[in-house]
Amino acid sequence: MVILEATKIHKTYGNKFNKQEVLRALDLQVHKGEFVSIMGASGSGKTTLLNVLSSIDRVSQGTITIEGQNFNQMKEKQLAEFRKHHLGFIFQDYNLLDTLTVKENILLPLSIKKVSKKLANDKFRAVAQDLGILEIENKYPNEISGGQKQRTSAARAFIHDPSIIFADEPTGALDSKAASDLLNKLSDLNAKRNTSIVMVTHDPVAASFSERVIFIKDGQVYTQLNKGEQNRSDFFNDIIKTQGVLGGVKHEA
Amino acid sequence: MKLNQLIYRNTKKNLKHYYLYIFALVFSVGLYFAFVTLQYDPALNETKGTIKGAAAIKAGSVLLVGIVSVFLLYANNLFIKRRSKEIGLFQLVGMTKGMIFRILSVENLFLYVGSLILGVLLGFSMSRLLMIILFKVTGVEDVATLHFSQQALFQTLVVFSVIYVLILIMNYIFIRRQSILSLFRVASVTQQRVQKMTPFQAIIGIFGIALILFGYYLSSKMFSSTFLGSQLYMVMITILASVILGTYLFYKGSVSFIFNLIRKQKGGYLNVKDVLSLSSIMFRMKSNSFLLTVITALSALAISLLSLSYISYYSAEKSAKENIPHDFSIPNAKHAEQFTNALAEEGIDYTETYIDLVRVNTDLSDILSMPEDSEFGFQASNTDMIVISDQAVPELHVEEAEVFFVNQQDFTKKLLNFQESGQVGFSNAETVYDLTFKGFKDVSILSSRLSYAFPVAVVNQKIFEKMKAEQDPALKSEFPEYVGINIVDKKEIEKADSIFNELELNIWAGYESRYEASISQKQNMGLIMFIVGFLGLAFLVTSGCILYFKQMDESEDEKANYTILRKLGFTQADLIKGIQRKQLFNFGIPLIVGLCHSYFAVKSGWFFFGTELATPTVIVMLIYTGLYSIFGILSVLNYKRIIKDAL
Repeated sequence: MVILEATKIHKTYGNKFNKQEVLRALDLQVHKGEFVSIMGASGSGKTTLLNVLSSIDRVSQGTITIEGQNFNQMKEKQLAEFRKHHLGFIFQDYNLLDTLTVKENILLPLSIKKVSKKLANDKFRAVAQDLGILEIENKYPNEISGGQKQRTSAARAFIHDPSIIFADEPTGALDSKAASDLLNKLSDLNAKRNTSIVMVTHDPVAASFSERVIFIKDGQVYTQLNKGEQNRSDFFNDIIKTQGVLGGVKHEA
Repeated sequence: MKLNQLIYRNTKKNLKHYYLYIFALVFSVGLYFAFVTLQYDPALNETKGTIKGAAAIKAGSVLLVGIVSVFLLYANNLFIKRRSKEIGLFQLVGMTKGMIFRILSVENLFLYVGSLILGVLLGFSMSRLLMIILFKVTGVEDVATLHFSQQALFQTLVVFSVIYVLILIMNYIFIRRQSILSLFRVASVTQQRVQKMTPFQAIIGIFGIALILFGYYLSSKMFSSTFLGSQLYMVMITILASVILGTYLFYKGSVSFIFNLIRKQKGGYLNVKDVLSLSSIMFRMKSNSFLLTVITALSALAISLLSLSYISYYSAEKSAKENIPHDFSIPNAKHAEQFTNALAEEGIDYTETYIDLVRVNTDLSDILSMPEDSEFGFQASNTDMIVISDQAVPELHVEEAEVFFVNQQDFTKKLLNFQESGQVGFSNAETVYDLTFKGFKDVSILSSRLSYAFPVAVVNQKIFEKMKAEQDPALKSEFPEYVGINIVDKKEIEKADSIFNELELNIWAGYESRYEASISQKQNMGLIMFIVGFLGLAFLVTSGCILYFKQMDESEDEKANYTILRKLGFTQADLIKGIQRKQLFNFGIPLIVGLCHSYFAVKSGWFFFGTELATPTVIVMLIYTGLYSIFGILSVLNYKRIIKDAL
């Protein structure tokens, strides 16, 4: 079942004298429960793609539908409503509110959904348990480590059971141990909750945790890799090779 | 030179960015210049001569300099912090700190000179307007012709040059203290450190509230004859200190503590309104407690001063009536006759009241308890009173063994605690009269100039005649008799007043015209009200601006939060609702605390100023609240813009 579908999307910035086309007729499909990575060199349009897919930015041309709903026809307010209920976000710089505790940060998406306090608490315990942050629930973001912050951010993305989660370089600010820890947890949750994840990254290790990697070059899909039956290190080697061809820069494997 | 170009471009660019700083400058200069122009205006000389306004205006201008410099230093501090990135960049490309300081100084100079010119122009037109208002309020009939005063300009220039130097020093210290790294980081350094609540904080908060309540309690007891003379001064200082310290601790502890309790109760399940209001205020309130205390104190001061002066103005006529019960008061029968003859000649109808007065040694110790205080020079057991016959008071019939008191004024009622009943002893060389005190009759018989604002005793006609016959020559009163003259047709009072003046009756003590007293009080209070009103407005605008600037700064700091929340799917309307609540607290809490403070301040001493408490105070408070809210609304609009730009 296709959950996200983008057809022929264009995105241009600038005015008519100085136009820059970031996305050019890009097509993309994400299935229910799929863990997809988007890779590409700097300036290839990864983050722009994520922004338009997640309704934070609008496309110049083309259509994007999530669960059959077309973004183009929605007003600003409806889009916000849609994000609130169907989308989850994980960002490179965590985007936690400094003035709230871990628990308060995580429960934030539920507060708009009129969920009872008890149910909210249960959901919180479940997701916090899975991500191993239950014991720091009353701490403030400046008291915990980067890995813990990012896991908090992930918990916030999962708690309201969105249909799809967008992650923008979630491991960008983490050391390698914290990064693989987080990615393991993400793919566990992805399998357990059947929530689709679209992750933008430039790190081949991170990408190797997903099932499919989409390579972007100059605003178009360059190629795709499917993990299929191979194990993670084989998939990682494939990714490295493709990346080398793509960027013309050999990676020491 | 390259540096000059850089300075020029920077200034041009910053003009757009720092319009608020420029507004603060222009406003301060305008305010100050307007005030000083009034001070030096020859048209005001008459006013100064007649009602000694000069000293009041001078005191006002000193106060104004204080406010203006605090305000400007604060604004500058805020804006230099915002430019820390730019300063860091200059350092990074190899500019020395001295050079950066020079750039900033020259830039500031441009802004300063421009604002000074604008401000002086604004101030000049403002002072014209103020002059018209002033004359209207004081009732001095004069055409408002204003001259551009060089003296005023010079004084303004001197004051603002000094402030400029202060700002330079502050900038110098700021640049000096920062390294390249810390300059880049300063924006995040100023952000609050999130801290855990401690029990200590709760104790501080409770202690603060206790201090405020203690101050209120003392203020209500202040003039109730519990404290006297030199004690009174100490009490006032204690009240001020405990209320101000209490306010500070209240902001430091109580607000965060109460908010924390509410938050705890929610068990981590906060909605977006709570996120934007509760949690944000809770942490900032603590770090802002000093600023908030200053703002509260300023507001309280402004409101109390405004209320008190408005009370005087408002009750000018009423208190004139209390002080001078008849239209004209003449303590001499011969002069009264001269006056009534003149009135008759002019065909003005009048009524005349003649009262015989006698001064008698009095022992009040049974009905009036006073702490013995040598400085006060008053002993209840050995004083003297003016005694009149009950025939002079148509409302009263007094038995031979009784005595009533009349002519009680509002402030003596507060200051002297008379018992409900008891014995009063009158004595002269031959006889002692021990009379039963029957209480006060709420009428005004004599002018307060004659009674020295002390109650007057009313006794039976027979007793009075005896007292009169045995009058102690040592106690012979300055005023043995009193003639009160009322004009039948109130429209003719003005005419009668000019006759009173023509006969030169007004030059002696105790010869009073109520009409004139009322006008002169209005003039007096009008000028004071004007100055106080001016200062109050300055306080108001300054504290409003400081809060607004603070909020602007905060909104920039929290912009990232709004981005997060909007990405999560909260709409702009959701966020604005939270912000509105936050601003309600941010502006409301200092306002309410300030209003409370000023209410108790006014209540403790209002009876010295007039006869009406409620109406003038409420009017002043409403106007103040209204003007103050404008800043709150402006800040919400600013947030609206920030939130809109956040995504």
